[in-house]
Amino acid sequence: MNERKYTIRIASEGRALVAIDDFRLAKSAITVLLGESGIGKSLISMAIAGLLDPDDLDVHIDGKPYAAYLRSQEAIDIRRNGFFVFQEPSSHLNPLLTLRAQLREGSLAAAPDEGRILKKLWQGSSSSGVESILDVYPKPYRPSGGEKQRILAAMAFKKMAASAAHTQESLFIFDEPTGNLDNRLRNEFLDLLVENFRNQMTTIVLITHDYSTISRFTNIYPTVSKNILYRELLLEHGKLHLRDFLPGEYLSWLEKRNATTRTGQKTETVLRLQPHVKVFGRTLSISRDTEGQNPEPLLIRKGAVTYLKAPSGVGKTTIVKLMMGLIKPETMSMELGSAVYSEKTNRKVWAQRVWGRQMTMVFQHADEALNQNSKVKDVFDGLPIAVPLNEKIIVKSLSELFEEEPSRDFLNIRIKYLSGGQKQRLNLLRSLILRTDILILDEPLNGLDFASAAKVIAKIEMKLQSGFGVLVISHNEEIFDTLVATANIYYLHSSSSRLTLPDTSKR
Amino acid sequence: MAIRTFTGNSWLDKLTSKKDLLWLTIWIAGLGVLWIWDALFLNAPAFARLQTAFLNSLLTGLMVVLFSLALGWFLGVSLNTLEHSKSKIGFAVLSFVTDILRSIPQIIAVLIGYVVLTILLHNGIIRSSFVQMVWIAGTIAIAVFLEVADTIRQRIDYFRTLDFVDAMLCCGIKERRIINVEILWKNSRSHMLHKLIAIFGISIFLQCSIDFIISVGLSTDVSLINFPMTLGNLLANVDSKQDILALSNLFTEPGYVSVIFTRHLQGLSVAFCIVFSMLCIYMIANGIVRRHKLA
Repeated sequence: MNERKYTIRIASEGRALVAIDDFRLAKSAITVLLGESGIGKSLISMAIAGLLDPDDLDVHIDGKPYAAYLRSQEAIDIRRNGFFVFQEPSSHLNPLLTLRAQLREGSLAAAPDEGRILKKLWQGSSSSGVESILDVYPKPYRPSGGEKQRILAAMAFKKMAASAAHTQESLFIFDEPTGNLDNRLRNEFLDLLVENFRNQMTTIVLITHDYSTISRFTNIYPTVSKNILYRELLLEHGKLHLRDFLPGEYLSWLEKRNATTRTGQKTETVLRLQPHVKVFGRTLSISRDTEGQNPEPLLIRKGAVTYLKAPSGVGKTTIVKLMMGLIKPETMSMELGSAVYSEKTNRKVWAQRVWGRQMTMVFQHADEALNQNSKVKDVFDGLPIAVPLNEKIIVKSLSELFEEEPSRDFLNIRIKYLSGGQKQRLNLLRSLILRTDILILDEPLNGLDFASAAKVIAKIEMKLQSGFGVLVISHNEEIFDTLVATANIYYLHSSSSRLTLPDTSKR
Repeated sequence: MAIRTFTGNSWLDKLTSKKDLLWLTIWIAGLGVLWIWDALFLNAPAFARLQTAFLNSLLTGLMVVLFSLALGWFLGVSLNTLEHSKSKIGFAVLSFVTDILRSIPQIIAVLIGYVVLTILLHNGIIRSSFVQMVWIAGTIAIAVFLEVADTIRQRIDYFRTLDFVDAMLCCGIKERRIINVEILWKNSRSHMLHKLIAIFGISIFLQCSIDFIISVGLSTDVSLINFPMTLGNLLANVDSKQDILALSNLFTEPGYVSVIFTRHLQGLSVAFCIVFSMLCIYMIANGIVRRHKLA
């Protein structure tokens, strides 16, 4: 396979952000770029796509200054014939043009198949059809993140069709294009991606943390598999490098997990949440059936995982925040141990009895949940633990989720300098170290590479053996389904498909 | 990835890249040059008065900063606690009192403090210069500490909009620790330092303004000479005013420039001290904002 090898150095204010000697990009193939968040996948891709500002960052490609690369024919061709789907779609959409106008801007105007692409991307969507948003001027809050991502994906697919004559010179980069999509919509996107690839045989980079992409490609498109390369960006001993990731690594791990029996053994119930919760004028209902016909209380049992599923935006995070007493409901009834918690329960009661004692929760955004200005060792300060943790215990705990035993230097690094994956592991460890009855995990595998995700799953299993009850919210259904008995899977429904949260900035 | 590739290591490179430290150096150097010049050309009693005035103003300014920090922290944290408590009455009452205080112009609040100080001096209740300075600093602090309280509240409110506070609460970390250690100490020191430097500048400015206003005398028995010597006090002195006015001579007699920096030094030195210090303090504050990327 024809490959282009890059040597890339990116620095800012004297600090090296990325330094890699062997970044390889296969031509006329789909490269699925894996690796924990914050390791440099987006930055490297943006550098190759010619999207970095040489005034802001000190960039060298193949030993030459970035300005020289930007003037090269290769970079000009990529910019002219390629497309970059940003992880944060709002940054790419023009708020002064309707989405329809942006879909037909410049070279996209003449591209065919717009209707078919949109129909496919919106197929099975629970929200109203795509037509209702096409005449909207994009705002930070409307359309939703998932809708914006699909609009950008549609632009990319149109651009692919428009650049059909230049497939050898083009590059299409999709940076976490399914981050805001549920599994069904993700699959629609992947199908469209493969279909377009088959037609154009262009060069595609798909950046993702979603390992179930591997299963989808392998199981549904075995004939295209030879043109799909999985590569993982790794930081080893302070050095960044790209390794070939064999799909079998993930698939055999998954198969092994699927082979283990998950009994729906009924252990002691530690938490019972009544099936209807009213908040912000909406009613959230819980059921075991996907349609929500038969609402049932949500139960968390000792030594078992309960899995709460729902499409993005229904209110999964909201309901666990309600269960933690962080949001005040209009009506709610929850039995925890021998006590009943409701909308009348005082915040002080949650602080004295629940937080860090009976229940704890891991938030999905480690960047927000951790103090970026703290040192690694300080993450565990202030926890309600009888004996303060010394450095030896901290190192032992860290080594459970980190590849190498952390050094003393690592303990003194400020969190803001860690990669997204390292932050997420610290975020998890802070809660895992507590001896609570219940552990709530909101997207615990966010930003993790495969090795770390496997370690997290193993750690959760250890916690289950010691009697923890675990509630999980996650888009990684393929992985968590291997951990949960069918009887412990619940579905969340809202009286409206989207929950409007109040403006907390004015609290 | 903690790989550092700094190349410039000289102290000059470091100094010029850190504007706050650069301007602190310029301030100290400028004052040092002035001190040497005054030691050579200013008469001894005026030189002694200038040194006392500078040190007193500096001390008062520092006391204002300390008082403002203590009052601002207390009010900011109290308002935050009351706002999130079950009963909203305490929050409403404290907010109302704060708003009343906010509605009084700073200069009027300080003037009221000076009027009370005059009464105390008049009745012989306060005699020590240091106690007078503490009173003046306390008065100015009451007029300006709301700015510190507002900064503290803004910082706490900002972190409350993130998962930051909730995530720590869920782990059983006490709210007072989250606010005081995690938000204010670890994440707001630069913001607070910037605000306190600005408070220091405001206190110098307010002192000078008030000294000028009351240079006409607050009562038949109490005037500027009863108050501790400060830069504003010295500038409001008739000799200093004449020195400043002497600058206008330059329009009709440009050759006068040769003697102006030796013959009219008291007024010019005080004016230079005030203006130069204000400029440097402003630049130091800006440097801190830039270095720590404060919005």
